Amino acid sequence: MTERTATITLVTCTSCGKPILPGSEATKFLCPNCGEILIRRCEKCRKFGRPYKCPKCGFVGP
Amino acid sequence: MADKEEAKKEKFEEETSVSVEEELLLPRDTMLSAGIHIGTRMKTKDMEQFIYRVRPDGLFVLDVKKTDERIRVAAKFLARFEPSRIAAAAARLYAHEPVRKFCESIGATPIVGRFIPGLLSNPLYPNRIEPNVLIVSDPRADSQAIKEAASVGVPVIALCSTDNDFSGVDLVIPTNNKGRRALAVIYWLLARQVLRERGELPPEKDLPLTIEDFEAKISKEEEEG
Repeated sequence: MTERTATITLVTCTSCGKPILPGSEATKFLCPNCGEILIRRCEKCRKFGRPYKCPKCGFVGP
Repeated sequence: MADKEEAKKEKFEEETSVSVEEELLLPRDTMLSAGIHIGTRMKTKDMEQFIYRVRPDGLFVLDVKKTDERIRVAAKFLARFEPSRIAAAAARLYAHEPVRKFCESIGATPIVGRFIPGLLSNPLYPNRIEPNVLIVSDPRADSQAIKEAASVGVPVIALCSTDNDFSGVDLVIPTNNKGRRALAVIYWLLARQVLRERGELPPEKDLPLTIEDFEAKISKEEEEG
C-alpha cells in the first residue's frame, strides 16, 4: 500500500510572521498606501491591534 | 542683532505654516473650527502615536496633519474597491446623516442605526450583505460590525478618537468621532478624496454637496428640549 502525502504552503502574517491557518479569522488586503503589496493579518494580530509594515513603501498600520 | 534673528525665525515659522496649510485637504482653520482634533480625557496606548498634546483641562488633542494623511491613505484604499462592495456602519446618532451622504456620494452601502447581528456573517439571513471593506464610525459603538467583519475576513477602516483601541481594526483614521460637525467634515473629506482618487472628480473641484448637507440635522423640538 502506498502512502499519499501532500504538502501545503501556509501564508504568513505580515505582523508576526507566523503561518496563518485556513479557516481562521484572518484578513488580507493590498497595502492601503501603495496598493502593491498584499498585507495579511492573522486573527491574533487583528485582535490585539499589532502593527504591520508594508515592505515596499514602509507604511505602518493600523 | 537679536531682533533680526527673531524676525528671521518668525518669518521661517510663517513660511512653514503656510506650506503645511497648502498640503492639507481643507484649510487648517476650517478643520480646527469643526473640532476634528478634539479628543477625550482618556488616552489609549494605541492612539498615543496620533496625539499632539494635552490641554490644561485634560483633553487630549489629535494631530491634524496625521488625520489628513490618514484620510488620503484611506481614500486611496477605498478607491481600489468596487463602490457597491464598500459598506459604512454608523451606530452613533450623529454619524447617521454623514454616513448616508457619504454612501450616496461614492455609491457605497450604508448600515445606519442598529447593526442587526448576522448581517455580514449569517448565510441564512435574507438581507445579508457581502462587502469587501467596512468603514465604522466608532469602534466601540460599532463593535458588532467589527466582530462580524473579523469573522468573514473583511478589512475594517475605523474613525478612532483618543479613547479607542485598535482591536479588529486594519486602518485607523484618527479624529473626533463624537462631534456633529467633526463627523460631517471627515465624511465629506473622505467622500471627496475617494472620488478624486477614482478620477470622477477633478483635483481642484469640490463635491456638489456641502459640509452642511453632511451634518446631522437636529429637529427644533430636540434643540429646545
